Amino acid sequence: MPHVRPATLSRYLLQGQLISRGCLQTRPRVQASSITTPHVQLAQYLHTETSESPSNGRASVGVPFRKQLKDEAKKQKALGKKKKKKNVNNQVVDGWELTVGIEIHAQLNTAKKLFSGATTSFNDSPNTHVAYFDLATPGSQPLFQKETLLPALRAALALNCEVQPISRFDRKHYFHWDQPSGYQITQYYEPFARDGRIQLQSRDGIAAEDGESVSIGIKQIQMEQDTAKTLAQPGDVHWIDFNRVGMPLIEIITHPEIHYPATAAAFVRKVQNLLNAVDACVSGMEAGGLRADVNVSVRRTDDPSNPLGQRTEIKNLSSFKAVEDAIIAERDRQIAVLEAGGVIAGETRGWSIGSTETRHLRGKEGEVDYRYMPDPDIAPLLIAPDLVTHLRDTMGELPDDVVDALIRDFGLSSKDAMSLVSLDGGMRVEYFWNVVARLQSQLGANAPQEHKPCFQLAANWILHEFGRLTAERSDESALDLGFSQEGECIRVPAQHLADLIHHLYNRRITAKVAKELLWAIFRGRVPGEYHTVLDAIEKEGLWFEELSSDEYAALADDAVRGQEDILRQFLDAKVFPQGKLMFLVGRMVRLGQEERIDPKNAEAVMRDRIQSVYVPALKD
Amino acid sequence: MPPLSRRQHMGSMSARYVRCIQLRAAFGLTATPSRAAHTPIRWYATTGGYTDRQDNNEISNIRLAVKDNIAAKGFQTTCASNILAGTEIPFAATIVTQLRNHGMEVVGKAGMDEFGMGTHSTTSAFESVHNAHPLEKYSAGGSSGGSAVAVKEGRADIALGTDTGGSVRMPAAYTGTVGFKPSYGMLSRWGVVPYANSLDTVGFLARTVQPIREVIIGSNLYKEHDSRDPTSLPDTVRSRCTIEREGYTSSGQRLETLEGLTFGLPLEYNIEELDSRIRQGWLQALNAIQTLGGRVVPVSLPSTRNALSAYYVIAPAEAASNLAKYDGIRYGKRDTNGTSDAQDGVLYARTRGSGFGNEVKRRILLGSYTLSSEAIDNYFIQAQKVRQLVRRDFDRIFKLDNPLLDEQHFDLSEMEESIGIETKLGPAQVDFLVCPTAPTTPPLLEHVRNQTPLDLYMNDVFTVPASLAGLPAISIPMDLSIDPASEEQKLLHFGGLQLIGQYWDDARILSVAERLSGHVAKASAGKL
Repeated sequence: MPHVRPATLSRYLLQGQLISRGCLQTRPRVQASSITTPHVQLAQYLHTETSESPSNGRASVGVPFRKQLKDEAKKQKALGKKKKKKNVNNQVVDGWELTVGIEIHAQLNTAKKLFSGATTSFNDSPNTHVAYFDLATPGSQPLFQKETLLPALRAALALNCEVQPISRFDRKHYFHWDQPSGYQITQYYEPFARDGRIQLQSRDGIAAEDGESVSIGIKQIQMEQDTAKTLAQPGDVHWIDFNRVGMPLIEIITHPEIHYPATAAAFVRKVQNLLNAVDACVSGMEAGGLRADVNVSVRRTDDPSNPLGQRTEIKNLSSFKAVEDAIIAERDRQIAVLEAGGVIAGETRGWSIGSTETRHLRGKEGEVDYRYMPDPDIAPLLIAPDLVTHLRDTMGELPDDVVDALIRDFGLSSKDAMSLVSLDGGMRVEYFWNVVARLQSQLGANAPQEHKPCFQLAANWILHEFGRLTAERSDESALDLGFSQEGECIRVPAQHLADLIHHLYNRRITAKVAKELLWAIFRGRVPGEYHTVLDAIEKEGLWFEELSSDEYAALADDAVRGQEDILRQFLDAKVFPQGKLMFLVGRMVRLGQEERIDPKNAEAVMRDRIQSVYVPALKD
Repeated sequence: MPPLSRRQHMGSMSARYVRCIQLRAAFGLTATPSRAAHTPIRWYATTGGYTDRQDNNEISNIRLAVKDNIAAKGFQTTCASNILAGTEIPFAATIVTQLRNHGMEVVGKAGMDEFGMGTHSTTSAFESVHNAHPLEKYSAGGSSGGSAVAVKEGRADIALGTDTGGSVRMPAAYTGTVGFKPSYGMLSRWGVVPYANSLDTVGFLARTVQPIREVIIGSNLYKEHDSRDPTSLPDTVRSRCTIEREGYTSSGQRLETLEGLTFGLPLEYNIEELDSRIRQGWLQALNAIQTLGGRVVPVSLPSTRNALSAYYVIAPAEAASNLAKYDGIRYGKRDTNGTSDAQDGVLYARTRGSGFGNEVKRRILLGSYTLSSEAIDNYFIQAQKVRQLVRRDFDRIFKLDNPLLDEQHFDLSEMEESIGIETKLGPAQVDFLVCPTAPTTPPLLEHVRNQTPLDLYMNDVFTVPASLAGLPAISIPMDLSIDPASEEQKLLHFGGLQLIGQYWDDARILSVAERLSGHVAKASAGKL
């Protein structure tokens, strides 16, 4: 499959929210805009075939994607294609059962390659991190790099696998220019981890048909080598970058226990989150650090004793949406073939982003006999139980436990809790904990019980208001927020946000002022011009000094002057004219000192004045 | 090549064994080995001097020939294959660096069978090696034939070879030199182009045992672990093995007597194909051992009959895998004739088609077949089981335990009936096995060319078992009887006598071989 630019991929993602921590240093900064680009528009666009490109597509980065979408739209128009059914309504085909097994390849977060001392790298100059063994230089030998085992073991533990005390490495033979030795070293006969299981819940995005939760079994996890990267050139020319060859991967193989396309996508997303949480992997699907192959088969539901149908394999899926789309397309293709009286051939198929059908890659006759052979140079891998125990004890909290805690302790919605945990590779939730700690020191030990809404407010701002910083009206180039592993944020330090939230929660400043202050922090004016948030409020006189009841009443009187026609409508109304009320409140805000008005209080005063003063006056 | 049927493959390769041994009086004859000026080693122009050479060592000015599958800076390393023509490996093999540090000087690369695959050094892509004067018409043995002839002709004092299934010992036997294959894991393979990694060892050839013992034991080469070779024994294991063995500390002294040592005469090695003169020479050598105070007992190694078949499954399988890397893209020769065959094919089919010789292709096909999903259970897996049985046979026979394994128990009821029981404790146990290295004297090259591959593979029947078990083994020249009426017998007056020892018993094997040399070959005795 041709390499797809990470930016293109991330925009294509279902929600486009998952950003890995590894990207912070290596990705061009401008790509960060994709974090918060309103993807709803893009998604809608995909389904409605408008020919206009989304207005928010930003310069250079956006262009290839826009072009891709345009081409796609043109193609679909030319085909006279009907409007595509939404995936959420397309999880089941009556009379048929779908069965899916998944293989996920993930790049391990290690400093060295699997069998050589060459360092791992991502976007370094081609062919700068290559050892003799990586090039299959005659006379060179593999040297297992023990350190690569640690992230692999953390991954196995996060996926609840049983780590095998003895495992071995085998050679898988096939000829391709990206595989210099003519074989890949993998663990075919005796993988290092087996028999795992992960629990997916409805909040993970599984199909509604799976109910509240579903458990997916993992057959095995094996360590193996990555291949070299091919850089296609014009004409029939390929350049090879051996930096990637020999980098350590894990392959995670599930049992065929998934029956709905959305659940398959949720599984892959969940695995990515788990691997990220235990620091096993460098980057996610959007950066090409994770790839999935799916095995798809269908059988009729009329007779439960039917064996599983013939399966086909779809290789190299590089986004969660592609996983779901490809499974739906392949399921529909297989059903169509069977309903027409045909037979499904065991074959390997491919999928391109945006297409509607899987395509044939190679059939059974084109299958390679991999001639697996134990590698005679590599000793068996012996993993001591105390190492496994140590890693298990020091692994930290898994995302599910964190999400549960956020829902339980702060009353966050499961959607917000999930977002908080998955954004920025877990760094955003670390930031949240940081802000919580600072708020707690201001509010007192019992804050979580007594001031729950304050923490909800903080979560809300960290999720939604932060989003605006990098997306909306960003007159300067949209920059990363700069979250760190320690839970700090370069652009909005936790202490400043905690101060801001604290004042807002206590209604010492208005939401409008708070938003202005957030921008001031983001742009560095705090602490640049003002030492602290408090400093800025005091110097600029931003404290919320609310009008007194009398002042509110006087302001209401001013606002209704000359509006008798409107007031009359309150007299006759069968249904209370809320809209009219808000119109009058709006006038209050415009006429009065905005920074001293709480719209809710203004509304209450106006409602009260209408009922007790203005309407009775009209009756007279 | 159509895959061999199981019967064809496994059946026809086991030799017909003759049970009874007739002890006959040995009669010896000596002849002085000639030193002809013919040069079978290929000399490459060096691209740089030996500035890193250290001459301050106790060994100095020793001329070293290096087999052409071992990387040496300043020399090309072609493995006698077209596909690597002109290739220089950008690093030096550890063994070459070690020997240079011990004061040796690389004087040339020695010819060989292509990638070590052959028994007569005739499968080279460049030229075939022949035996030293006056045996030019005869095979020099393979695959380290060039190394053997180099030392035989005095072009080098010592030569590096590689031994996968007998590739150092066979040439030694055919040229009347000494060839030593150390325990697997003792000498580093970094920089040695693999043929079959699990069997490959670096070996030495010389005219006598002494320089080999001097370099491995005397200069402590056996102690040197190489962190770049994952199969190089770690220091801790080396010291543990060494503590359990004799001969490493008293390296300077020669063994004066064989008293107290038991030598096993493996009955299964007395095959029908054994040349009668070789058989006589073998018996004569056994007499010499007894004269020197050694005890000789017949022993049985029942798995021997399957060892050759197992070897010719395992070695080609590993070779097919190892040779998959040669595609002409990153190094070596690329066949660019015609258009690219990348479309609907393999990018380098043509390169591999023209780059490899017939014997290499034959073994790649053989190996690819025995690893294929339909054949692996019947061939590769079976062969691995046989390999364990072969090792077990050896472990049972030797007095010394195998230091790489936990203590093993051999239940008498599990033993084959053919194994004779010596005492109520079981069969006799021995220090060394003594047998011929090759079943015949060197054949005429003309005959070699007409032989089938299976005939050729048969030559390795005595050398393969020690390779499968990773054991140290040495071939020393032994005198053969001569019919004065036969001109050919006057030329071919020597054979190879092989000693096999338990794992890491290299030091004792070398001293016993050195002691024995003068008594089984009078010619050698004169030189010592």
